[in-house]
Amino acid sequence: MRRPSRSARRAVLGAAAAAAAALALGAAACGGGATAQDTAVGNGSSFVAGTYGTTVFQAGSRPEAPQVLGTTLAGGRFRLSADRGAVVVMNFWGSWCTPCREEAPALGALARQFSGSGVRFLGVDIRDDPASAEAFMRTYRIGYPSLNDPNDLIALDFRATAPPAGIPTTLVIDRSGRIAARVIGPVSYDGLKALITRAAGRT
Amino acid sequence: MTRLRIPPEAEPETSAADESTAREGFDDAERAAPAARRPAGPRLGVTGWLRWGWRTLTSMRTALVLLFLLAAGSIPGSLLPQDGTNPAGVSQYYASHPLLARILGRLSLFNVFGAPWFAAIYLLLFASLLGCVLPRTLRLAGSARQPPPKAPRHLSRLPFAVSYTTALAPETALQAAAKALSARRFRVRTGPGWVAAEKGYLREAGNLLFHIALLGCLVSIGLGGLFGYRADRLLVAGTSFSNTVTALDEFHPGRLVSPGDLQPFTVALDRFSASYVTSGPLTGQPSSFNAAIRYSATPQGPARSYTLTVNHPLVVDGVRVFLIGHGYAPVFRVTDGTGHVVFDGAVPFIPVETSGLTSEGAIKVPDANPEQLGFVGLFLPTAVDAGGRLASAFPAPLRPVVSLVSYAGNLGMSSGPPQSVYSLNTAGLRRLPIAPQPLVPGQSMKLPDGLGTLTYTGYRQWISLAITYDPGQLPALISGGAVLAGLLLSFLVRRRRVFVRARAVDGAAGQPGEPAASVVDLAGLTRSDAAGGFEDEFSGLAAEIRTLHQGRSDGPAPERAGPAPTDPHPPDGE
Repeated sequence: MRRPSRSARRAVLGAAAAAAAALALGAAACGGGATAQDTAVGNGSSFVAGTYGTTVFQAGSRPEAPQVLGTTLAGGRFRLSADRGAVVVMNFWGSWCTPCREEAPALGALARQFSGSGVRFLGVDIRDDPASAEAFMRTYRIGYPSLNDPNDLIALDFRATAPPAGIPTTLVIDRSGRIAARVIGPVSYDGLKALITRAAGRT
Repeated sequence: MTRLRIPPEAEPETSAADESTAREGFDDAERAAPAARRPAGPRLGVTGWLRWGWRTLTSMRTALVLLFLLAAGSIPGSLLPQDGTNPAGVSQYYASHPLLARILGRLSLFNVFGAPWFAAIYLLLFASLLGCVLPRTLRLAGSARQPPPKAPRHLSRLPFAVSYTTALAPETALQAAAKALSARRFRVRTGPGWVAAEKGYLREAGNLLFHIALLGCLVSIGLGGLFGYRADRLLVAGTSFSNTVTALDEFHPGRLVSPGDLQPFTVALDRFSASYVTSGPLTGQPSSFNAAIRYSATPQGPARSYTLTVNHPLVVDGVRVFLIGHGYAPVFRVTDGTGHVVFDGAVPFIPVETSGLTSEGAIKVPDANPEQLGFVGLFLPTAVDAGGRLASAFPAPLRPVVSLVSYAGNLGMSSGPPQSVYSLNTAGLRRLPIAPQPLVPGQSMKLPDGLGTLTYTGYRQWISLAITYDPGQLPALISGGAVLAGLLLSFLVRRRRVFVRARAVDGAAGQPGEPAASVVDLAGLTRSDAAGGFEDEFSGLAAEIRTLHQGRSDGPAPERAGPAPTDPHPPDGE
């Protein structure tokens, strides 16, 4: 077998390089060739459920919760710093979301159990219509208020500390306004109770 | 295996030091493969096998095979439903072909781009290209800095050669030649009795650029894979969303992307309009889509207006937001049996055909009492009666009608895995005895058994957005351009060498009347002069040097000449 000539090998290298470059350009441009009917929503469940898991922040390294301002479903103004001194359980939910419905009884029960003991519960209703949200709260006898977050700005407020990486996400904020835990996915009664007790402890 | 391996570029040692003729300096790569490249005997040690493995991996043939495998490996990704983009399709596949699906699932064919074997292919390809390109780059960098080789002893053997006598002393003649070559931007090296000059290093620079840019391409792709992400979001007119994970329908992050890394922009859809061809054979084809949006790059930032159209993405904070689809979201209000309004909102329906945009969707009312309610049905933008069946004749909302089938019972939403919001799981539901009747906006449908009322209050339009962030995109583009530029440079620029030797004439050899002091040999050669042109350049150069040496251009005829120096206008080399 004859050794391929230098120029032939050069050409092969050139072709391979061109292919690699095309691959690179193709990869770079793959966002661009979309057509109008390529709907991206065909069959998905259409929300990001996230990777379930609990993150517990140690007392010394708890990130400070951001300022949260919003309007409740009932129309009242809400400010998170007004709850300084109390443990705040913040739950991002939607009435359409199956795992949110799964955890709702535990949240409702814990809210009733801890009422009057320095623990506030707060919901953040995501991608929902107020009528459905209120019906959900009636179904699960949720007594605590929920903020309406039509622009996802409250979720955005937590991006630097403990971003809600799926629905549902539950944050536990300690008495000094620092984030003690984040749960992605449905909470269990016992699991959330332990997190609340831990955050309520003197730090 | 080793035959197709890329040969080393001209090794600096051989071309600089050891040259009996200058031609070898260009052709050393053509020599037989050095012994070190072939295993000496049948037995290979561990290092031998490692070396063999590395050489095989970094060979061009392996790279091409891997490139082909990468392309072939992505085919099942487009033929089979994928977990990331179409989980419902995957479960459907499992339902209809249980055994086959289990085998395919074991082979990760439902998640091709996350499959270990796919990762193996691209990691090997990456290693192969890197291992091939990196040593070449280093070698080329050496070659570009290398001085011209020594002048060969016998210049007359070179393809272009001129010889003549001059009255100047050898050293003076050589100095003059060196100066002339320098003035022509040759890289000049001098030695006892010779001058060597080389030009066209830009070829090596081009080659170097090509290789570095190739590495740049690879790194750019890697950057995109590690730090980039893709996401989708369906947005109903009159609503807004922020770029945060909870607000996205699909999210495909790169390996090193965490939810907090997403650029915090907000997009609101004010209005969407589509226009369609209304006559001719293309009736119903879309002619334009315009989405009037407002966006702000940060939560506190100023809101800006933008008109989003197909292939004109919104670029915000380095993220590109494409308009990739649209459809209708009929608005429903459901009052349950207890008189509570338990649902009041727009429900996106998904188009199932393009000529009339007939769309399917589901309405779930899990908090209705006494029973949960569910509806599935069609939205018809321009409803017509097609032989007793409802059909949509045109994609624009000229007669927007919905037709729904009603269910009551258990929606299966109290626990279990997330459900698709676009379809209804009817396992725990019973169909209500109410005939699906076309509803026009404002019309209500009373459910039997006092279960409640559904009102179709109107419709809105929705758009679907593809959000892509690829930090490797610009570097990939630049690298791609540089690859081409380098390739062009290395193809178009010739590397060429000119050698001059001058020696004193023996007393006996001097011609009477012409007091010759030296014999000057002038020679040139080039590599890969496919386009020609060096011949002319050499002639011009030889004439110029000769004029310097002899004081006039019409000197005595050369004793032996290669191509006659006729053209006084050498083509510009660079």
